[in-house]
Amino acid sequence: MMRRSPVLLTVCILGFVFLYAPMVSLVIFSFNESKLVTVWGGFSTKWYGELFRDPQILQSAWISFQVAFVSASLAVVLGTLAAYVLMRFGRFRSRALLTGMVTAPLVMPEVITGLSMLLLFVSLEQFVGWPKGRGMTTIIIAHVTFCMAYVAVVVQSRLSGMDQSLEEAAMDLGARPVRVFFDVTLPVISPALVAGWLLAFTLSLDDLVIASFVTGPGASTLPMVIFSKVRLGVSPDINALATIIICIVALGVAIATFQLRRKK
Amino acid sequence: METAPLQGAATTKPWREGTEEPFVRIGRVTKKFGDFTAVNDVSLDIYKGELFCLLGGSGCGKSTLLRMLAGFERPTEGTISIDGQDMGQLAPYDRPTNMMFQSYALFPHMSVEKNIAYGLLRDGMKKPEAMEKVADMLRLVQLEKFAARRPDQLSGGQRQRVALARSLIKRPKLLLLDEPLGALDKKLREETQFELVNIQETLGITFIVVTHDQEEAMTLSTRIGVMDAGEIVQVDEPPAIYEHPASRFVADFIGSVNMFEGHVTDDEPDYIRISSRDLGQDIHVGHGVSCSMGQRLWFAMRPEKMRLTREKPEGVINAFPATVQDVAYMGNLSVYRVKLRGGRVLSATRANLTRHEEDGISWDEEVWVSWGDTAGVVLTQ
Amino acid sequence: MTGVIDRVAPLRWTARGLKWLGLDGRGLVVAVPVLWLLVFFLIPFLVVAKISVSEAAIALPPYLPIFDWDGIVATITLNLGNYGYLFEDPLYLRAYMFSIRVAFVSACIAILVAYPMALFIARSPEPRRSVLLMLVILPFWTSFLLRVYAWQGFLRSNGVINNFLMWTGLIDQPLVMLQTDFAVYLGIVYTYLPFAILPLYANLVRLDGALLEASADLGARPWATFVHVTLPLSLSGVLAGFMLVFVPAIGEFVIPELLGGPDTLMIGRVLWSEFFSNRDWPVASAVAVAMLVVLVVPIMLLRTVQSRSEDG
Repeated sequence: MMRRSPVLLTVCILGFVFLYAPMVSLVIFSFNESKLVTVWGGFSTKWYGELFRDPQILQSAWISFQVAFVSASLAVVLGTLAAYVLMRFGRFRSRALLTGMVTAPLVMPEVITGLSMLLLFVSLEQFVGWPKGRGMTTIIIAHVTFCMAYVAVVVQSRLSGMDQSLEEAAMDLGARPVRVFFDVTLPVISPALVAGWLLAFTLSLDDLVIASFVTGPGASTLPMVIFSKVRLGVSPDINALATIIICIVALGVAIATFQLRRKK
Repeated sequence: METAPLQGAATTKPWREGTEEPFVRIGRVTKKFGDFTAVNDVSLDIYKGELFCLLGGSGCGKSTLLRMLAGFERPTEGTISIDGQDMGQLAPYDRPTNMMFQSYALFPHMSVEKNIAYGLLRDGMKKPEAMEKVADMLRLVQLEKFAARRPDQLSGGQRQRVALARSLIKRPKLLLLDEPLGALDKKLREETQFELVNIQETLGITFIVVTHDQEEAMTLSTRIGVMDAGEIVQVDEPPAIYEHPASRFVADFIGSVNMFEGHVTDDEPDYIRISSRDLGQDIHVGHGVSCSMGQRLWFAMRPEKMRLTREKPEGVINAFPATVQDVAYMGNLSVYRVKLRGGRVLSATRANLTRHEEDGISWDEEVWVSWGDTAGVVLTQ
Repeated sequence: MTGVIDRVAPLRWTARGLKWLGLDGRGLVVAVPVLWLLVFFLIPFLVVAKISVSEAAIALPPYLPIFDWDGIVATITLNLGNYGYLFEDPLYLRAYMFSIRVAFVSACIAILVAYPMALFIARSPEPRRSVLLMLVILPFWTSFLLRVYAWQGFLRSNGVINNFLMWTGLIDQPLVMLQTDFAVYLGIVYTYLPFAILPLYANLVRLDGALLEASADLGARPWATFVHVTLPLSLSGVLAGFMLVFVPAIGEFVIPELLGGPDTLMIGRVLWSEFFSNRDWPVASAVAVAMLVVLVVPIMLLRTVQSRSEDG
């Protein structure tokens, strides 16, 4: 049988090396004394100090965090609504339209989404007078729009796996639709909401292209700052930043795995 | 097979007298899903205190009918009324019915107690009062010790009782049960059947049960409605359904049967004779049947109503020579496959009355198959 | 819930007002996501389409209105020149063709790498399977930008790879890898590899092991079983994985910008520079519209594959 095929094992190991080697090297060289990112010059944590003294990085990180937090939260509300409507409302007039609009952002190139959002904001300002200029608000609106699509997909799959007779049972026992939603549907799909929120938060935190289009003066997100630094050449404090991000993610994943294990 | 129905669920039989107002009236209800007709022009009257079973194979429309009573589906045509009140456009949460779901549909994030209390709290009952009622109900279904558990910490049988308790707590006028025992194993199912009937008697609530299990329907119900392809094909008390099936479908669906196709050769007021190609001689039926000479009809013979003997029985008109092909020992009875002279194979059962039957009829023996002249059923449709 | 609405007067009035507008609770719930996506997703495309036929100008915003109304006569000026421009200047056509080529080749390579990995993971016993799957998903959660940046450190002339090769003595001159097309292919395969693995894994893990045993039992060697059983049954996963790499790779901007050379012209990058460097919004819009046209077919294909695999 193919089960213990050494070829598969080899390819798999090489594949994981390919996936992780660059990240490992980022971590290693973040502790490098030398400014040359790829030549070892002794152990040091000075780049971490530098990172935390860089006002530009700190400020943009704070902006990114706020944007990601608000976007993820709004995206969860809107994405869940969209998913619920699609899975539970049967037929309604704008159904086909909504289905298309929910799935399209998933496959839309970021440059197009970014450009179209910006042009919309410009036109809106011209004709409606809102939003005045661009900045965090416009980034949040853009992020909510493409993140809610991801949330909707996650929530939809959870809803389709949920036993619909739970909702019918609540209704049968005297709960009206709104009550059913909050008493039964929401608690049952809550893991999907958490997963959707985390996904949206990460996507928003990670986005460079869309934010670059729709931002305005004074609202540079972390990826935009990283991008401008990286474009100019390597900078070791970015390695330190990457290491911190990787550690946070690894920790989060470890905790999530542990929690899942314990539940089982 | 022939289990005596548990009497007492309804000591009077209002459907026989026809004097009492029906409690649930289903009037010419049709339900279509697109082109598919799930329920076709069904009319049904069910009386207060009944335990009515809707029996049929999968896809026969029995569950759809139940869901229309609960309010999850709206009839395409027809009316439903409960206790004189038209259900029309009433939403499920406004109906005096409760339902026990096939999957039980216990809320996974609530304890047993909260699951059961849910309906009361939705009616605006104060919590202490509701909890008192829940405690009573838990006692009734013998789950006092499990009040704080979550559904996933219960066994299948316990979940079933929680689901029952939850659907009973509001004392609905009508309780709808969708395959209530379907998920239990055989042994537990038999015990629970009796429990269900006891509870129904104690509370006096009208039950409508959907099931595909004929034994369950026989044991539980005051009356059975047999459904096929969206239509009710027969409504009657369990013994009548078994002994007097109205059609070939019902005869075949309930229990096992040997069916002979034939035509009338002799039509007298007190007997008829049927000629069937499968049998070497005519079947003699000892009562009158409304039919005409030469009419095509069917004769249904239950396996347990036939006798197998080595000698030709005296004074029996319906006796046919045959050869034993196969004997299947089932414990309480044995099933014989016997081949008639014409080649037709019949099933006949014999109760195993003693433990050692050395002299039992066995393979390849020449025997006589016989039955009394009122043992079979003549079916014209 | 309704109890509260009935009791509080302002809520009651609002409810009545909405009902009068023909919006009951249900309609309202539908309206929220529909309106949001309509305003912030669909209408923007119409704006893009509109601006793609207007004329560039040195103004704020940098284009002329296509719709003019002097009080008596309304004129609509459609400037199709932006599209003509896309065909006249070979740069655009080359960028489109190159984008498609890069996306196609990268998607093929990604599938070739992803397939054995997905197969291995799908056939691993628990809990190893969960761990490996977690390792595939983990890079999703870390910054995409930083992972591309990491390759810069790997590929540059004094980078990790060159240092290693020189140390082993295999080469004595550093290889030029950064700022080449090679680096772009590598970056895309690297970034989108998990996208290829996941649908393949989802497909392969559902494959009934009894089928493989039946095939072996009937005399097929492992390779024959793979060719005749496993591969045909996983084709929808292959197609989904391919599309999930191909579609986003076409519009990619960051990877060619950071890893490619100055002449690595991919269409996303062209759009970016039209917009940010040349400030030619109408041409950037025309590029976007053309890109959408190129993408329609693969996106439709992807949706068909996905809905089919959901049914199956």
